[in-house]
Amino acid sequence: MATDLRISNISKIYPGCIANDNVSLQFKSGKIYALLGENGAGKSTLVKILSGVVSPDNGEVFLNEKNLKLSSPLDAKKNKIGMVFQHFNLFETLSVFENLSIDATEDNESLRVRVNEILKKYNFSIDLDVPVLNLSAGQKQKVEIIRCLLRSPKVLIMDEPTSVLTEQETEELFISLKKFCDEGILIIYITHKLKEVLSLCDEVAVMRKGKVVSVSQTQNERVETLANKMVGQKLAKIKKKINISKNKDEIFKVKHLNFYSDDPFETNLVNLNFSLKKGECLGIAGISGNGQNELFQILSGEIITPNTSIIFRNKEIAKLNPKQRREYLMAFSPEDRISQAAVPELKIYENVALNNFKSSNFFEKGLVNEKKIKEHSKKILSDFSVNTDNVELKSQFLSGGNLQKLILGRELITAPELLICYNPTWGLDVGAINYIHETLIKINNQEKSTILISTDTEELLKLSDRIAVIYKGKLSKIMPSEEVTPEKLGVLMGGGSID
Amino acid sequence: MIKIEKRNDVPMALYFFTPFIAIILTILGGGIIFYILGFNPIEALKFYFITPISNLYGFSELLLKATPLCLIAIGLSFCFKSNNWNIGAEGQLTFGAIVGGGVALIFYNQEGFYILPLVILAGAIGGMIFALIPAILKTYFNTNEILVSLMLVYVSKLLLDYLVVGPWSNPEGFNFPETRQFSDSSRMPLLFEGLRIHAGIFLALAAVMLSWFILYKTYLGFQIKVSGLSLKTAKYAGFKGKTMILVVFMISGACAGLAGVGEITGPIGQLHRMISPDYGFTAIIVAFLGRLNPFGIIFASLVVALTYLGAETAQIFLQIPKYTGQVFQGMILFFLLASDYLLFFKVKILSLKKNDLRH
Repeated sequence: MATDLRISNISKIYPGCIANDNVSLQFKSGKIYALLGENGAGKSTLVKILSGVVSPDNGEVFLNEKNLKLSSPLDAKKNKIGMVFQHFNLFETLSVFENLSIDATEDNESLRVRVNEILKKYNFSIDLDVPVLNLSAGQKQKVEIIRCLLRSPKVLIMDEPTSVLTEQETEELFISLKKFCDEGILIIYITHKLKEVLSLCDEVAVMRKGKVVSVSQTQNERVETLANKMVGQKLAKIKKKINISKNKDEIFKVKHLNFYSDDPFETNLVNLNFSLKKGECLGIAGISGNGQNELFQILSGEIITPNTSIIFRNKEIAKLNPKQRREYLMAFSPEDRISQAAVPELKIYENVALNNFKSSNFFEKGLVNEKKIKEHSKKILSDFSVNTDNVELKSQFLSGGNLQKLILGRELITAPELLICYNPTWGLDVGAINYIHETLIKINNQEKSTILISTDTEELLKLSDRIAVIYKGKLSKIMPSEEVTPEKLGVLMGGGSID
Repeated sequence: MIKIEKRNDVPMALYFFTPFIAIILTILGGGIIFYILGFNPIEALKFYFITPISNLYGFSELLLKATPLCLIAIGLSFCFKSNNWNIGAEGQLTFGAIVGGGVALIFYNQEGFYILPLVILAGAIGGMIFALIPAILKTYFNTNEILVSLMLVYVSKLLLDYLVVGPWSNPEGFNFPETRQFSDSSRMPLLFEGLRIHAGIFLALAAVMLSWFILYKTYLGFQIKVSGLSLKTAKYAGFKGKTMILVVFMISGACAGLAGVGEITGPIGQLHRMISPDYGFTAIIVAFLGRLNPFGIIFASLVVALTYLGAETAQIFLQIPKYTGQVFQGMILFFLLASDYLLFFKVKILSLKKNDLRH
């Protein structure tokens, strides 16, 4: 039976922000629909409304012309709307089957029969009796999908499903989604990745600032046209940078980096060795959770490992803490910008003072030199085009993009010889991503080096001179980026090998 | 359906106003308790909160009790602000009193202007050393400072017990569990004839000023603030975490030690078993009621000191046990935590009716 989902004049207003402004959309089964937009465009709010997590201030949802009352996630389930969120809702220590049986309405035997039917039908290979924590991200996602399929959904909503997947897993997911679609399930695919929209979806709705700005057939669109609609302005395309680092001096060298942890949530690192030249960008790719956190903390000096040698500008720095490493002109931009790189409750100038390098004189003789810190902060705000000039503002009021600009500005204002950044554009909108990419290219052009640890393949290919992949704490061989393709990276990120 | 959401921005003014709400609620709660116990609540509350400070002597007693509370709470604010949960101030107070008292006993039959400063210094160092035990165990052996500092309270109290009945007991004291009287040179100068208020109050005021300066104007204060808000950030910024833990515990212990030595050289004048009516524990309430802010702590120490006095007055006039003082202290903390919860989170009652109307 054909399914027809209609959203009519939905509005949702949060204090100080219109999340959905009179949104009307129509979806019909047999097609895969993309909902595209930057962070904060209103996609998530719309999805939350469809899944019953949030009630709209105005407007209605119709499924096959029946007006739906969605006041809780249970209502969405009853009306056969299934949802796979970006962050999985699974109990890690329970087995796959136990997770599936938690909200099942039937007895275990018949449930197992049905689950096995689904596994067979869609060619999923998952052991039902292993704990979820042993599964890869792709397999966990499959468990979530099975959970939806068990309820024979009419509508399946996927929220940014590929952010944790390898290229191969993404391909598998797309194949499954197309199968579901052929079977008459209406699929709504939420993303900000343009290429996925083009390769998977039939129709695309673009949202910007809470409004639907365009609905079109994907065959009539290209990456550039969609990007422009998403951002609302013509994007200056960043040139892939020219490799400038041949025959330059070596500036940074890591030998025998090993890390062993008792904590099962940390990844052990096994004998990493690499080096970096002046003006070079070394990209480290990998799916999150393969040791990037630990690597970043060891490179920044938050974790000191024995028997590791880290040579920076001909000095051994392996035993120095982050503050001491900064004095040698290293800078760090961690992944967690909200609770590690900055403190949301602190004012902008106080966050700037966190990078207290010696020549800054922020703290003379142990006393706070507020005037100096504020002057310095003002300079950062204007040099790095953060959209405020009020250094007294608490940093929690900055958007992700502006906060990242502030952090990068704070780290770069010392003119460091080496910047180590981890997912610098994670969760940012296209405008901010562009700005940060331009900045990173600029510092390479000024003969400064960068180590870019990132889970974003596109970003790595755009910025790196050489790329290595980290998988389960081991580093692949380092390849010149001209020789690397997204497919190759995908194989390595998934634990495969290439010749 | 009830839903609880975090508030994004809590106005600073309201943040400093909620302690007053907590105090008002405590007084109302106290009135209800008195009513249930069969007293006229208005009259009982008057005995509790007004009678004790209606004359000069009462007022000086208020300052006398507020002095140790304020000193200890100032010290604790350094620990609490940096996420170190020192709850053993009572033990640090006791140990400070033991060390300071020991020095005073050495000079029991001597006079000299240098004796009191030595005694005070010894008290501060004693508290500091005792606070270093949980700090060192935390930094180098990863123990939990809450448990260690709390358990050490009993260690120091038992040590004091042993000393006053054993080696340090007064040879002319008919086996009472107490030491000799300190010499006059070991006693805090009294501020007014006939009142017990002594120069220790200046120590407390100096601690307030100094702590304000350290917390808001120095690099140490900045590190304490950042560590308190996010340990991850402190690590990333390269602050010397271990040193900072040791320093805040030392400051805290020194303040508690000073409070202890202030008691024995002030109103008490010797060592015996009961040198503190749990000032070290009550100061935890004072620190939070004062919002860990040096000037807030002055105010809070006066309020909480009043519960001590009120309990004594109520015992005399109404024959209510003086432990009601602890009931009031408990209520203050309870209402403060409750109003903080409502300050930081909002409770939304979602009516299902509104949704129904739409259909």
